[in-house]
Amino acid sequence: MSLRIPQIACPAPVTITVEGQPVAAHPGESLAAALIAAGLWRFGEGEDPARPRTAFCMMGVCQQCLLRLDGRLVQACLTPVAAGQEVTCA
Amino acid sequence: MIHDIAVLGGGPAGMAAATEAAHGGARVVLLEESPAPGGQVYRAAPPGFHAKPDPDRRAGDALRAALTKTGAELRTGCRVWGLGGGPLVPEGQAHAPFSLSALGADGVPFTLQARALILCCGTHERIIPFPGWTLPGVIGLAAATILLKAQGILPGRRVVVAGAGPLLYAVAAKILAGGGSVAAVVDAATQGEWLRALPALAARPDLLTQGIAWRAKLLASRVPVLAGAQVTAAEGDKVLTHVRVGDRIFAADALCVGHGLVPATEASRTYRARHAHRPEDGGWVPVLDAAQRTSVPFLYAAGDGTGVRGAAAAPAAGRLAARTALQDLGFNTANAPEEDAALARARRTGAAMARMMALRPAMIQAIPAETIICRCEGVTRAAIEDAAAAGAGTINQLKHFTRCGMGPCQGRMCGEAAGALLSSARGVSVADVGFTTGRIPLRPVPMEAILGDFDYADIPVPAPAPI
Repeated sequence: MSLRIPQIACPAPVTITVEGQPVAAHPGESLAAALIAAGLWRFGEGEDPARPRTAFCMMGVCQQCLLRLDGRLVQACLTPVAAGQEVTCA
Repeated sequence: MIHDIAVLGGGPAGMAAATEAAHGGARVVLLEESPAPGGQVYRAAPPGFHAKPDPDRRAGDALRAALTKTGAELRTGCRVWGLGGGPLVPEGQAHAPFSLSALGADGVPFTLQARALILCCGTHERIIPFPGWTLPGVIGLAAATILLKAQGILPGRRVVVAGAGPLLYAVAAKILAGGGSVAAVVDAATQGEWLRALPALAARPDLLTQGIAWRAKLLASRVPVLAGAQVTAAEGDKVLTHVRVGDRIFAADALCVGHGLVPATEASRTYRARHAHRPEDGGWVPVLDAAQRTSVPFLYAAGDGTGVRGAAAAPAAGRLAARTALQDLGFNTANAPEEDAALARARRTGAAMARMMALRPAMIQAIPAETIICRCEGVTRAAIEDAAAAGAGTINQLKHFTRCGMGPCQGRMCGEAAGALLSSARGVSVADVGFTTGRIPLRPVPMEAILGDFDYADIPVPAPAPI
């Protein structure tokens, strides 16, 4: 079962790579949403396995969802998906 | 160029404030972190995403359309990190125009100046820590709303929804409507609390009807609703697999949990405006006069950031703040229209919901000693209580002792729980432990955004002193 709600229409999927693996995502949705939809809840190990990187507030406040996008540190919840993005753990 | 009025935050209060200020003839700029104005409740969907419009979407679209029509300058997708000017000038100097430094959507830093500043910064979610709350798969209730409404994604296939306030039932109903299943709703409020809130809820029949429909949907789907209960632990190896509520264990791949909303006061704290602690408003709020003025000249605030009353009540407060700012700046403004009855009802319902979402001291007391409170810095309840015993008497001192609140979220997620734990350990009120001093940067920014463009050759080197 997909986590995407069928009643909401969205643009055709594109491919981004997450830690080298291809992931289908819809342009415009947040990277955090795309990773959750792909079943990738754990965004990285961070400094302490007791508090790994993950989506938590989804509105730019908590700073837990940090990722590297094309090498640049970003908040996954505030960063829209675009084709060809390369995402790695922060 | 100096703007007359800058509005920080593009939710319902900010959109209405900017619209009103522009109608009054002021040169206006609105700064917003999201890619489009809207705020959390009226959040715009990404371009190309279409869902059946609901009342929230229509209300948001109307505010957005009115704002766009004014031609006010919109700076969306920008990260405001620096605040200066206003009262932040060397002692003895006159009040300066406000200055706001930000990183633009294009990554280019910029600074704006404005004679008056209206803060419409909204709220963030209060999540009282419990064992396992840092496990991936645990997200806020407001976070779940964003996933469901703006992004069209279910947080999980089988979800536990927990916490306090109306969002609980809204999120549970949306998950069911989207094809997911809800393992349980765990409501911190007792049925008695909801019954006592009913008269105030009845002031907004639309919301009451919606609430009853949500409950009916849960009943029809045989979702267990646990009243007066709370999550005791989130469990799983790398990600969430189970949620424990007392002796009951629910298998779940997501837990959406939220215990109310906290006004975002970092900007008014940075400008050293006076604040008061009002639990029934969500916590610390700037002290305002009847016309939305803070204690700092030409600094105004409106919306849920000044006390949680909900999106329906926010635009009127934003408009009032804008009219006051226009008057204070010497613009001719029409007399304020009478506040209508619908707004008074929205405020009454909003206040009842805010009371239900206020900090629950029993929930704070239930936190085990080894549970992480500050997830940026990994500070546990035990570490906070050790610091309290060692002499930390205020939240600022606690920060110095433990680094609690010193990480990249700057205490937004842990501040409420840390303040409550410190106050109970010290045997004083939450108001007495105070709030963290507002400091820039308001949000983490790359060093180059703060430094700007410079070469080593630009650094002035004083001539050596003559021997």
